[in-house]
Amino acid sequence: MATLEQKSPNVLLQSLCCRITGKSEAEVAHQFQYAVRVVGSNYAPSIERDEFLVSEKIKKELLKQRREADAALFSELHRKLQTQGVLKHRWSVLYLLLSLSEDHLKPSSRVGNYGALFAHALPRDAHSTPFYFTRPQSLALCYGEKSGGLSASVGTSGISSLGVYTLNGPTPTPQSFLASQPPQSAVEVTQPLGSRLAWALPVSNSVPSAVAPPNTRPSPAPPAQTTRVVNRPRRDGDSEVSEAALVRDILYVFQGIDGKYIKMSAQENCYKMDTKVLLCKSKCDTSSRLAELGWLHNKVRKYADARSLDRAFGLVGQSFCASLHQELKEYYRLLSVLHSQLQVEDEQGVTVSTENSLTLRRLLVWMYDPKIRLKTLAALVEYCQGRKGGELASAVHAYGKTGDPQMRALIQHILSLVSHPIFNFLYRWIYDGELEDTYHEFFVASDPNVKTDRLWHDKYSLRKSMIPSFITMDQARKVLLIGKSINFLHQVCHNRTPPVKIKPPSNSADTPKEAAELLSDLEGTFQEKIDSAYFDTSKYLLDVLNRDYQLLDHLQAMRRYLLLGQGDFIRHLMDLLKPELVRPATTLYQHNLTGILETAVRATNAQFDNPEILKRLDVRLLEVSPGDTGWDVFSLDYHVDGPLATVFTRECMGHYLRVFNFLWRAKRMEYTLTDIWKGQMCNGKLLKTMPELSGVLHQCHILASEMVHFIHQMQYYITFEVLECSWDELWNKVQKAQDLDHIIAAHEVFLDTIISRCLLDNNTRLRAIFDQIIEFQNAQDSLYRTALEELALRLQFEEKKQQKEKEGQWGVTAAQEAEHKKRIEEFQETIPKMRSQFRILAHFYQSIVQQFLVLLMTSPDESLRFLSFRLDFNEHYRAREPRLRVSLGATRGRRLSNI
Amino acid sequence: MASAANVNNLNAVRETMDVLLEISRLLNTGLDMESLSICVRLCEQGINPEALSAVIKELRKASESLKASENTTN
Repeated sequence: MATLEQKSPNVLLQSLCCRITGKSEAEVAHQFQYAVRVVGSNYAPSIERDEFLVSEKIKKELLKQRREADAALFSELHRKLQTQGVLKHRWSVLYLLLSLSEDHLKPSSRVGNYGALFAHALPRDAHSTPFYFTRPQSLALCYGEKSGGLSASVGTSGISSLGVYTLNGPTPTPQSFLASQPPQSAVEVTQPLGSRLAWALPVSNSVPSAVAPPNTRPSPAPPAQTTRVVNRPRRDGDSEVSEAALVRDILYVFQGIDGKYIKMSAQENCYKMDTKVLLCKSKCDTSSRLAELGWLHNKVRKYADARSLDRAFGLVGQSFCASLHQELKEYYRLLSVLHSQLQVEDEQGVTVSTENSLTLRRLLVWMYDPKIRLKTLAALVEYCQGRKGGELASAVHAYGKTGDPQMRALIQHILSLVSHPIFNFLYRWIYDGELEDTYHEFFVASDPNVKTDRLWHDKYSLRKSMIPSFITMDQARKVLLIGKSINFLHQVCHNRTPPVKIKPPSNSADTPKEAAELLSDLEGTFQEKIDSAYFDTSKYLLDVLNRDYQLLDHLQAMRRYLLLGQGDFIRHLMDLLKPELVRPATTLYQHNLTGILETAVRATNAQFDNPEILKRLDVRLLEVSPGDTGWDVFSLDYHVDGPLATVFTRECMGHYLRVFNFLWRAKRMEYTLTDIWKGQMCNGKLLKTMPELSGVLHQCHILASEMVHFIHQMQYYITFEVLECSWDELWNKVQKAQDLDHIIAAHEVFLDTIISRCLLDNNTRLRAIFDQIIEFQNAQDSLYRTALEELALRLQFEEKKQQKEKEGQWGVTAAQEAEHKKRIEEFQETIPKMRSQFRILAHFYQSIVQQFLVLLMTSPDESLRFLSFRLDFNEHYRAREPRLRVSLGATRGRRLSNI
Repeated sequence: MASAANVNNLNAVRETMDVLLEISRLLNTGLDMESLSICVRLCEQGINPEALSAVIKELRKASESLKASENTTN
C-alpha cells in the first residue's frame, strides 16, 4: 500500500480497471479512457460533504433492511475509523461504499434463488417495469442485479411473491403468519372485491416490510412506494390516492423534498398538488395547507444554509444562523417522530391504523404549532434579509414585541443567541477597550488612520445603524465613551494600570443564557453596569489627567498668560518689550524676545509658578507682512502636547492666539493713552507760554479723554464681563465634569463666548478705533515735537537777547529780529493746519465709534447692548446718530413686548 | 525513531483498511481488498466518490457483458 501511495489518479484508475474487469492494461484501454473522462468531468458535484450525514444514511439503509446488528457493527467500525484519523476524506470513502452497496444489496441477500425467482418473476414483469423506469441505472446492470431488482419489485407488487419467499427464501418464515396476515389486512382496509388482485392490493400498499422476514426483507421503502403509486390506479381503476400515501408524501414535503403528488411549482413558488392526481377537494385542501410547512421550511433553510458559510456575515449573523439551525433541528426531530410512527404503522400493518394511524387531519392538528413557529421564523428571515450585526439584532428585537407569549419566548431565545456576540463585543470594549470586530458588526467604529493625537476626537465613532434597538442612544454614547477613555489612557497617557475599581464582573455574558438575562433586565442591571463602568472609567481618566498631567493647572496657566490674567507679569513684559516692538517686524529676533520674556518672568510673581508651566511659555512671531511693526506680530505661545493636546487642540490654540492678540492690542492702547496723557500733563505747563497753541491743545485733550473713556470702558467690559464671567463658568463646569468630553465641551464654550463677546468675529471697527488712537498718538507727538522745538528756539532767542544785553550790546540785530519774527509766523501758520488735522482725526474717530455703537446695538448679545449703553453714557453719540436712537427705542420696545 | 513511526503508521493504515474492508463487506459492495485500497487512495486524492462509483459500476457492467458474450459464444 505504501508503495502505491504517491501514484497519480490515472495510474490508480488504470489498475482499478484491470482489477475489476480482470483484463490486462492493453485490453481495458477503452474502459480506462471512459473512467478518466467520468472522473475528470467531476459530475454531480453537489453531494453532501458531511461524514455524519453519509454514515447516518448508511445506518438508515442497514436498518431499512432490518439488519440492526449490522448497523450497530457499522457504527462501531465507523467510530474506530474516526479515531484512527489516517484518512482525510472519510466521508468520500464512505459515500463510495454506500453508493456501491445500493446495487449489491438486493442480489446478495438472496444469491441462491436467481433461477427460481427469475422464473416466477417473468410473467409479472409488466407490473414491475415502472420500477425500472424510476431507476434506470439498475436496468443497465448485470444479470444478477437485474434479477435482484426484479425480486424486490416482485416481492412488493403481488401476492405471488409471497410464495416465492415461502418456497425459496433462505430463512424459513412461519407459514401461519404469512398466510393469515394478508387476507386479514385486505378485509379490513378495502372492500373485498373477491378477486385475487383486489386483496393483494392492500398488501402491496402497506405491508411489504411487515410481511417480509426481518433479515431478508430486501425491499426499501421507495420501491414500495413507487409500485404502490403506479400499481394502484392501474389495478382497480380507482384514481384516488390513498391517505397513507399522501401522508408519506407530505412528510417528505415537510423537509422540502418533492413528493410524488405534491411538487414544488417553480413559477408559482409554492407546493402544488400534481394536476394529474385525482383527489377529493377536502384532502387536496388539507394537504396544500400542510405543504405550506415545506415552503416555510425551505425558506428558513435556504437562508440559514446560504448564510452559514458566508464568513463575511459576521458573528452575529452566524449565531443567528445557529439559532435557526437549532429551531430546524427541533422541527426535524418532530418529523423523525412522525416518520417512525409511519414506520411502525407499516410494520404493524393496516389493522391498527384506523385508530392511531397518521391521517391528514391529525397531521394538521399536530403541525399547527410548528407551523406557527416556522411562519415566524420565515417572516423573521425575510425581514433580516440583507442585515447584519447590530442591525440584525434590532430586526430580531423588533419581532419580539408581540403579544403571543410563545412567539415572544421563541424570539427571546433567538435574540439571546444573536445578542450574545454583541454583548461580548461590548464587554471587551468597556472593560478592556479592545475592539475585536472583524466584520463591522458592533456599533463602535474605529478609524485606523487616525493618529494618537486625534484619538479622542476622531478615532472612534458610533455606527448608528448598528446600534441594536434594545440599547438606547444614551447608553451607546456612554459605551463609546468608556472604551474611548480606556484607549485614551492606554495610548495617549501610556497609563496601563487598570483602574482598581473597574474589574469586569467575572465572565459576564459568557453564555447566551446570561445574555438573555441581561436582555430581560436592560433598564436595571445592564444600565447599572454601563453606568458604573462609565463613571469609574471617566473618573479615573480625569484623575490621571489632573494628577499626572495637571490639566487644571494648565488651564489656569492659559488664563493667566494667554488671557493676560497675571497683571504684573504682563505689565512688566510690555514695559520691557516696548522699545523692541516699535521697530519694524522684520528686525525682530525670536531669541531676543524669549530673553525678554524670561526676564519678565524672573522679575514678577510669575517666577513662583510651576516650572512645568513656565517651561511651556514661549514667544511666537506671527507672519510678517510689509509695514508691520513688532506690535503686529508679537504673540505669547503656550506649548501643549500629549493628553493636554486633546483638550487644547490646535483649533483651541488658534483661538487662544486670536484672543491674546486682541487683548494685547487693547492693553497696548491703554498704554498708549497713558503715554498721551503723560505727554499732555508734562507739556501742558511748558506750552502755556505759547498762547497760540491753547486751542489745538484743548482739542487734543478732548479727543484724548474721549479715547480714554472708550478704552477704559472696553477694558472693564472685557475683563469683568467677558473673561471673569466665562472663566467662572468654565471653572464650575470643569469641577463638576464627569468625563473628558464635558471638559472639552466646556472649554470650547468658554473660548467661543470670549471670541464672540470680544467682537473678534467682526473686529474691523475695533481695529479701526485702535488705529485711530495710534494715529492720534503720532499726530500729537509730532505736534509736541514741533511745539517744543519752537519753544526751545524762543527760549534760546530770549536767552541770547538777555546775554547780549548784559554784555551791553544790542539785544538783537534787526536781521535776527526779522528772522525770529518770520519763524514765529511760520510756526503760527502751521497751527491751523494742525487743528484741521486733529479735527479730521476726531471726526474720523467719532464716526467709527458711532458705527461701532450701531453694531453693538444691533448685536443679539445682551451684554454687548449694555456695553454700548455704557460707552455712550451721556448720550453724546445718540444725539448725533439717529440710528442709535431708533435702535435703542426698538430694543426697548422689544424688551417690553417680550415681558 | 523514524522506522518506528513508519511501522506505527503502517499499522494504523492497515487497521484502517481492515475496518474499511469490514464496512465494505457489511454493505456488500463487492470490492476486494485491492480494489478497495485503490478506491480509498483515489478518494484520498479528492476524487468525487459519486463519479468513482459510477465508473466502478460501469466497469462491472462492461466486464459482465463481456463475460456474458463469452458465455454465449462458448
